[in-house]
Amino acid sequence: MASSLLRPPGHLSPATALQLSQQAPIIIKNSPGAVTASALSSLFSAPETPELWTIYENLLLSCLRTGDEESAHLCLGRLVNRFGDDNERVMALIGLMKEADATDDATLEVVLKEYEALLQENPTNIPIVKRRVALLRSIGRIPDAVTALTGLLDFSPTDSEAWSELSDIYFSQGLYSQAIFALEEVLVLQPNAWNIHARIGELLLMSVKSGSGDQNDSAKQLGEALKRFCRSIELCDDYLRGYYGLKLVCFYDPPYRPSKAVGLTSRKTTTQLLNDPPKPPKQAESDGLAPPNLSTLQKLDGLATEKLGEITRRFTAGEKGLAGL
Amino acid sequence: MTWFSKSTTTFGFLLLAHACYSAYEHSALQSHRAASLSSLSATTQQAAASSSLPLDISLETIVATVIITLGLVLNTAKLRPIQWRVWAGQIERAGEEGARNSSGEIDKDFVGNPFKLLESRPGFVDIRKQRKEFAEWVKQQ
Repeated sequence: MASSLLRPPGHLSPATALQLSQQAPIIIKNSPGAVTASALSSLFSAPETPELWTIYENLLLSCLRTGDEESAHLCLGRLVNRFGDDNERVMALIGLMKEADATDDATLEVVLKEYEALLQENPTNIPIVKRRVALLRSIGRIPDAVTALTGLLDFSPTDSEAWSELSDIYFSQGLYSQAIFALEEVLVLQPNAWNIHARIGELLLMSVKSGSGDQNDSAKQLGEALKRFCRSIELCDDYLRGYYGLKLVCFYDPPYRPSKAVGLTSRKTTTQLLNDPPKPPKQAESDGLAPPNLSTLQKLDGLATEKLGEITRRFTAGEKGLAGL
Repeated sequence: MTWFSKSTTTFGFLLLAHACYSAYEHSALQSHRAASLSSLSATTQQAAASSSLPLDISLETIVATVIITLGLVLNTAKLRPIQWRVWAGQIERAGEEGARNSSGEIDKDFVGNPFKLLESRPGFVDIRKQRKEFAEWVKQQ
């Protein structure tokens, strides 16, 4: 329980979030409300740990999600007591609380104005910049959100979270190549992030499926997606998402290209696409790796099928150590 | 495995205590003999020859130390993976369950997949959307 409070609760299921927020009054009651700075009283009270404030922050997020305003206000009050309301992170949390409390668009506009006023004072207040982007996106002003986000990335280009958000916004608008570019920037910063490798593979595959590029582009993107999924598997043993993506790439059936025979398995079509005679003249010059040949592709397909089968079998058999799937 | 390692350690400590006690008794005996011998004005060479510790006590001490070390080593928690792909695979598959220590609690420094933040992005959380989704989930229940 406490360990899941040490991590941001965004990815938790609604049931877990509800459970956490139901425990909130007890946790708040049992945790120290304020840590005094005086030496005498610190002798008698429990030592202050960084975990305490992480727990308050994550509890605040869970409570806001489930609509438990009272506990959320208590958590925020304690954070403000400890860090003051001019702390950048606390400022963002206060803004988040106002966003959650807002009932109509007019109130949201007021919150947005407040963010802009805060940014007038200090344009490099990164948590507030991020809140402003999130709010702009939430009320549907996507172009403004992108402008604000690129502004943030101009002065803080090493913020991988922001690059990832930019990619997600572009993806929501169907701009695959921009989304992939932003994720590649994330990979420059976090080269071992196996989930981002898999995500790029998925985006490439979706881009091919949307059929925006011509055939040469598609072949190139399929080859790239194959590499991305392979890399994610290389970085993470038995990575379900990676193997599934690999299988999808090997199994890809282009919509604009009718299969030659109906009975033919569609995995042929990827190989056709990758090994078509009208290939781009020198594919290798862009990233130095030739597209895989037919036998490699078949081997990869077989491996993905085998691994997927194995993982599924072990999961349905209820084997221990697979609880995270 | 725990009961085995614990009993091994206990046995080792018993042996060690026994060796210490034997050494103490031996030295007490030696000093007593030396005192009585000197009162009889015998030669001191005899006393010096027998004052070193007998071989069996030294052996017992060494064996006890080895057994204690063995017991403690057997009791250590399972080693964490040091290869990136094994570590990542364990996090992906087992989640929190993989980070339990020998007493069955989840380790305090367990962070899960550190790159999950790149997909959940807590700094950009859209709280109104989350609230809406949660309300719909409650309605379905």
